[in-house]
This record gives sequence, structure tokens and C-alpha cells, in this order.
Amino acid sequence: MTNKHIIHKPISPEILEFANNHEGSREAALEVLKDIQAHHSALTTDSVTDAARALKLPPHQLYGMATFYSMLSFEERKKVLRVCDGPVCWLKRGSEQLSVDSGQLSVERTSCLGLCDRAPAILVDDEQAGPIEANEAGKVCEGWRGAPMDYSKARKGEVRVMTALIGKIDPDSIDDALANGVYGGLKSALQQEPIAVLSEVEASGLQGRGGAGFPVGRKGRFVANEKRTPRYIICNADESEPLIFKDRVLMDTNPHQLLEGMTIAGYACGASEAWIYIRGEYEYQARRLENAIEGAKSKNLLGENILGSGFSFDIHVHRGAGAYICGEETALIESLEGKRGEPRLRPPYPPTYGFRGQPTAVNNVESFCAVPHILKNGAEWWKSLSGYKTPGTKMYMVLGHVKKPGLFEAPFGLTLRQIVKEFGGGMLKGSKFKFALCGGAAGTITDESLLDVPIDFSSGQKGVSLGAGAFLICDQNVSPVAMLRELLHFFAVESCGKCTPCRVGTWRSLEILDRMTAGKGQKGDVEELKILADLMQVSSFCGLGQSVGIPMKSALAYFGAEFEKAES
Amino acid sequence: MAVNIKINGKAIQAEDGKTILQVAKEHNVRIPTLCYHKDLNPTGNCRMCVVDVNGWRISPAACVTPVWEGMEIETDSEKVMKDRKLTLELMLANHPQDCLTCDVAGECELQDLAYEYKAEVPAWGAKGTRYKVDSDPNPFIRVDMNKCILCRRCESACAEIQVRDVWGVAKRGFDEVMVAGAGVPMLEARCESCGQCVAYCPTGALSNKMSYGMARAHQVKKVTTTCSYCGVGCQFDLLVKDNKVIGVHSNSEAPVNGMALCVKGRYGYDFIHHPDRLVRPKVRRYLLEGGGKPVSSDQLSVISDRLSVSSDQLSVTSDQLSVTSGPWDWVEVEWEKALDIVADKFADTRSEFGADTTGFLASAKCLNEENYLINKLARQVMGTNNIDHCARL
Repeated sequence: MTNKHIIHKPISPEILEFANNHEGSREAALEVLKDIQAHHSALTTDSVTDAARALKLPPHQLYGMATFYSMLSFEERKKVLRVCDGPVCWLKRGSEQLSVDSGQLSVERTSCLGLCDRAPAILVDDEQAGPIEANEAGKVCEGWRGAPMDYSKARKGEVRVMTALIGKIDPDSIDDALANGVYGGLKSALQQEPIAVLSEVEASGLQGRGGAGFPVGRKGRFVANEKRTPRYIICNADESEPLIFKDRVLMDTNPHQLLEGMTIAGYACGASEAWIYIRGEYEYQARRLENAIEGAKSKNLLGENILGSGFSFDIHVHRGAGAYICGEETALIESLEGKRGEPRLRPPYPPTYGFRGQPTAVNNVESFCAVPHILKNGAEWWKSLSGYKTPGTKMYMVLGHVKKPGLFEAPFGLTLRQIVKEFGGGMLKGSKFKFALCGGAAGTITDESLLDVPIDFSSGQKGVSLGAGAFLICDQNVSPVAMLRELLHFFAVESCGKCTPCRVGTWRSLEILDRMTAGKGQKGDVEELKILADLMQVSSFCGLGQSVGIPMKSALAYFGAEFEKAES
Repeated sequence: MAVNIKINGKAIQAEDGKTILQVAKEHNVRIPTLCYHKDLNPTGNCRMCVVDVNGWRISPAACVTPVWEGMEIETDSEKVMKDRKLTLELMLANHPQDCLTCDVAGECELQDLAYEYKAEVPAWGAKGTRYKVDSDPNPFIRVDMNKCILCRRCESACAEIQVRDVWGVAKRGFDEVMVAGAGVPMLEARCESCGQCVAYCPTGALSNKMSYGMARAHQVKKVTTTCSYCGVGCQFDLLVKDNKVIGVHSNSEAPVNGMALCVKGRYGYDFIHHPDRLVRPKVRRYLLEGGGKPVSSDQLSVISDRLSVSSDQLSVTSDQLSVTSGPWDWVEVEWEKALDIVADKFADTRSEFGADTTGFLASAKCLNEENYLINKLARQVMGTNNIDHCARL
């Protein structure tokens, strides 16, 4: 028998206060853990247990969270310098490692920071910085952070709708936003019946911009048709997929456009409250959004009885703490409820059973940002923006070995060739197109044979996925084996671990690819990768595991010879 | 409302809202499961029960996927059989290959499925090298997380049946591991050692410490019995090897308690073969020899303390104080004799001092009928209401 007596200790008054600051809400578990970490530079078993007791939750739940989110730590840290491990930063950085005097900073590797246009990028506590060369670490300690990329000037061929006001307004000024017509869509919406607003969005054919392309209007109608109230709106701003940073730019340059879109969605769906779930690494953007919310409230564009319409709506900002899986909408909801960000069983889907079990519409930042323009100018106008079968415009990101990497807005139906040549300014001098990673980390890898496929939500079946609209262009010097290794490293680190195929499959695939890139491949490696890709694609619990097979299978299909060469 | 589906080509009318697994079971179609257990909320973690659905891009897990109108399901297509086998191999890659010495070999669900699917153990993986074996000091539950396949049944059993919320999941991805509380020993995480987690664990990750290494599954005879500790009447199986009780297993058919047991029922069986256990009546020697009640050695030392004299100054003979053979010795006797003595003493006390100077305390280890009889004995034979029962405490 154990002789250790369990002594009852009172909860630390400090932790009780942290909990009370959030009304002891169980949903605030992540905030309480972050508060503890901020005050003590690390979590401990005792502090996590105390937090659980203060929130009346089982300690394993808080410990499960504390060990789940990558920004929480049980190790004492100083100022934390997070070095991005994303594929774009990897491509830019090469094999050189950032060397930092560890006397001043705690250095960590981290999954993609969403700063691909500032690659190689870093995060210094919550300050975004880049691009930084490997030998320039010293200037970080002196306060250097670099500057975000300037998108105020449109590229040739761009059709700017959501990005129209970049550089033309002060994003922190509500007056500037109002003077430039932001909230015009909301005013127009409030003069119509909610059902008419939904019909307009449906008629526009707007598809979800997170990658799946589900019709935004139809999702809204599912929520509006649910009888139960309250209904909720959630904005998925957990942009954690490598290559993707469009939502950050949208929130950074025109936060009011997002708030407006969400408020219209709330009106149309009969929702009363909304949350923006923003990844923890976007602290700067989170503050900007909070400031914008205050601004909107001061003009009665949010809050009680908006513009005298009788409609009341509130938006909250919720910060994540480092977990790619929280971009999966049900995992996001779990996280928002103060749990580990693990995907839920579906069905029921969020429109029926979402946040707090209530009807919830979860949409991507870009989807919400498109809505005000549709309401302001009409569905027909939105359709007319595109000469292609998919209506409207889309944010694209072109990265890698092109002359002008970055972000642009254009209609659907672009080809890779157009993206590289017309928008990306062509390949870098001395670079020849070898392959592109399309859509995001979970997209296809394709060679030059598919340069002329028009890209839309269904072109993934032809081998060029749209995903969230990012294209990483790689030249003759990049090995697809090494690229795939980077992607699998990301998936293995970010797999939540819930289901067997993804938990072990990503790890095993990474092990094989590690070996192949180190020149120690073995006979049968390629075959095993194929088998694992197949299994993960059909057997995994959620979209994360199911999509790991996409880059694996396409890379093996187009560059099979290189993989086979790496076997020996 | 009913929906029309097909399972393996056979048209079936199924109740709307039921899962593929439930419907398949009702129609005697077996789908293998690991993380699923009929008593627990399904989670869909392990992916053993994946099935083919015509027109679907992915293979859904039967345990959590509801049936829909028009669904055409294949439960044993070549594709899903291959996928299940591969999923098993991914589990086995990180599972110690020690079935030879594992305590639960022969009643391990992972072992059974690996055998059924002819899974080959991969050469790669962490086989029993990641965690300390027998890592928790809990006196009843043996923890070896190397054997865990992360099905999370322990978490569900603890939360849903025992409502103690001891077990949970920590970390993520390949590093994911089950933990008690905030990564502390089980007892510190409010564990009350009911062993529900052990009963639901499909592998040897959680096993019973007291019976560890005592018998193979095929060497024990299971004897279903009713727990003797309290009045709830839980049933379980005693594990008997060579006429000795070596452990207790839940019996899923138990009408009162199902798989649930408390720490006493599951682990409080060591009294059965304990050397101190009384198996025949014993009486004090002086009761057999007649005569008065002698002074005991304990009383003697109390008296000598009070008198402030040493005990040898008191006039008692040495055999009266002897521990090995004296009037206070316990002597084994026949039931007849012992009962006669008790009856005589009761009768004497009653006639001399009255019935209310006697009292009766009944035991939860007795049957209801026996408790009823002792109540009759007290009230009607002895004529006293001084009767109580330990389960009332």
C-alpha cells in the first residue's frame, strides 16, 4: 500500500484570481493556463492541478491541454524566439541554422508561423519578424523585427475586391473605414429580411475559402433553419497551414471588413454572438481586431440594436495556442470550449451541433470578407467578376522561386503557368520550374505537365489543388523527396494523435523520408510510403489525416524515379 | 423511421439513427472493434471497424457512423481487410512483443485481432522502450503504457462509469500518452482503485497487480458468484486456479452491476486464502474446562500499572499467564460445541440481567435470508430490539 497521504492544499490565490478574471468559466481553461505561464514562465504539475480545481475541471483535462498546445510549456523559458520550420522558410533558409546567443533568448523550432511572405520568419515572443538571414540573429536582440510586406500596389491582372482598401485606409481607424465605404454591405443587409440576405449570398455562389469550397450561403441556411437558439457565428482565423497567410493580410489591412462580414452572417443566420478563433501566433492581428471591435461598437456597428435595426450582435476574439488541427472546424470548437483541440465525430455537423452544442456557422476569414461586397453590389456583380464557372475573386499566394512572391487577388480559373509568369513575375534567374506544391501543405505536388490546368475547387482531382490558394514554386534544385519530408515533419508534429492511422502513419512516413533524405533509403521504402498514404487517406478520423496522403501520392506519382533513386 | 440499407449485399431495414455497427450486429454481421465497447460512448479512435460504403471516398468507422438511406456497406471487402491489418500493424509496431510473458495473453483483444488478421509485426517502431514498466505505485493496478494502443477506453470508463475522471490524454501525435490527473500517480489523481479501467483495457497496458504472473487465461476456471461485501449484490467471476481464488474479473452479464465493481469487490478477495482466516469455530480454553473467568495477561498488566507494582508481585500462577497453553488459549471445536457455549451464555445473561443486555449485529456478508433470521432470533427468541447491521453505517 502506498503510505503517501494526499494532503488537501488550498488553491493558490493567484490562480483563483486568474480563474475569477474569466468568471471561472470552463471555456477559459486555455486563458488561465496562458496567464499562469505568463506570470511564472512555465507551467507545473501543481499549477495545472490548481487551475483545474479553480475551474472545477478534472486535472487531466487541463494537463491534456497544457501538453497539447505548442505555445504552452513546462520548461522555464526566457523571451522565446520561435524559428519557423515551415516549407517556405526551409526553402529560403536551406541548411543554415539561425544561431542565437541563448543567454538572452530561448530558441524553439515551430510549425509554420503564417509569415511565408516574410520567410525565413521568426516570432519573438508575440512579435512577428522576418525575413532574417541565418547570420543576422544579433539584430533580433537589438530590437529588429523587419517590416510586413507591402501589398498596397496591385499586380498586373489583379481584380481587387477584398484587398481594394489595402494601403488606402488606416486599419486602426473606424472613421477611415467608414469614409471608404466599409460597413456599406451591413447597412444594405439590415434593410433586408435575413432570409433575403441568405438568398443573396446563395445566389452569389460564394464557396468557403478555407479549402473545402462548401457553399457559404447553404451553410448559413442550415444554421438559420435550426429552431434552437442561441445560434453562433465563428470565424476560423486559425490559419496554420504552411504556405497560407492570406487571412493574416486581410485582418491586418482591413479588420473592419471581416467584422462586417461576420455581422451580416449573424443577421442572416439569426445569431447573437460570434467568436474569431485566431491562432496564438497572430497576437498582433488579434489586438488589431480587438481595437476594431471597440471602434465598431463606438459607432453602433456592433453591440445592442445595431444602427437602430433591432438586431444585436457581439464579436469576441479568442486566441489559440499553437495547434494546426484547430483549423479543423470541430477541433476549433472543442478548443473554443476549453478542451484539447481534437476533432469531433461528424455528424452532427456544426450547423446542427456546434459551439456549446448550439447551431453554429464556422467560416474562413476570406469567406466572411467576401460577404459585405456581395451585399453591397449584389450577387450578379460578384458573378461578373469572374469569367470562369466559379464566381468571384480569390486570394492567391505565390511563393518560392519566383521573382515576385507574395499575395494577390484574382478570379478563379487561373493556371499554374499564369500564376508563375503573370502574377509571380516568372521564375528567378537561373531557376527552371520543376514542381509546385499546390493549395497548401495538404495539397498536390505537381510537375510541369499540369501547368495549364485551370484551377478551382475541383481541379485537385486533376492534380492541381486550390486548397486555400497557395502555390509554392520550386526549381530544379529542390528535391521533391526533401520537400515531402518537410511536409511530413509538419503533419507528424501537428497530428493530434486521436486515431491510429494518422498518429502512427505520419510518424512512420517521416521516419522513412528522414532516412531517404539522409541517403540511407532502403528497398521497399517507396512501396511502404504508398501503402501508408492510402491508409491515412481512407481510414483517418478527420481531414488532417485524410489529406496527408494527397501530397504523398502526387509526389510519388510525378517524381517516382527520384523517390526510387533515394531508396538506395 | 426506417432506412433501407444493404450490408454485404443483403437488403436490410434499419432503424434511423443507429450506427452501422449496431445494425450489423443485429443481423449477425461481425465487424472487428478495439476502442469500441458497448458500455461506453463510442469515439472512433482506433479505426479497426472501418467499412466500405459504396460511393464514399473514405472508409467510415462503423462504430460512429449512422446508417443513411441507400447506404451500401461492405464489411469484409479486400480493401478494408487490408486496411484493418495495416492499422493493426501500426499498433503492433509500438507494442512490446512480449505476449510470452504478458499477463493478459489469451484474453487480449489486440492479440486476438492480430492473430485473426495475420498481422505481421513490423521491424520498426518503439517496442516497449518508451515508458517505465509497472510505472504506477497503485497497489492494485499495474500500469505499462508501452502496451497502450490509445483506444482511450480507460478514460471513458473512469469518466462515464466511475465518474472519477482520473485518466486523460496528454501530449499529441506520436507522443500521445494516457496520464492520470496532471501526470501524477493514480492515487494522487483521486483514483479509488475500482479497477474499471483495467476491466475495460483491451490490452495489458492496465492489468491487475495482485494476480500478476499467477495464471494464464486458459489455466483458470471462472466461477460466477455474488460479492459478499455489501447488499448491492454485484456479480463477478472468481478466477480459480488449482482450487485457489487468484483474482476477480468483471462479468459483463452481471445483472446488477455489469462490468462495474468497487475496490472491495474487485480486489478485496485475499481474505479467502489468508492464513489468519477462521474456517472453524474456536473458543477460549477456560470455557471448555468450566469454572470462572480467569484474569488475562492484558488485564493483569493493567492492574499492575494501577497498583504501581510489578506483575510478578501479584499472586497469579505462571500457567495462568502462559501464552502457549493457558485458560485464554483459542481451542478449535466442533460447531455444535461452540454454538452450545454461545447459547448457554446468552440464556444465562438473559435470565440474570434481562434480554436488553444482549445485542445482535448482522453482517452484509450474510444473505438476505440469513439477516432476516438473525432479526427473528433477536426480536422473537431473545426478545430484544438491540439489532443492527453493518451496511447501515
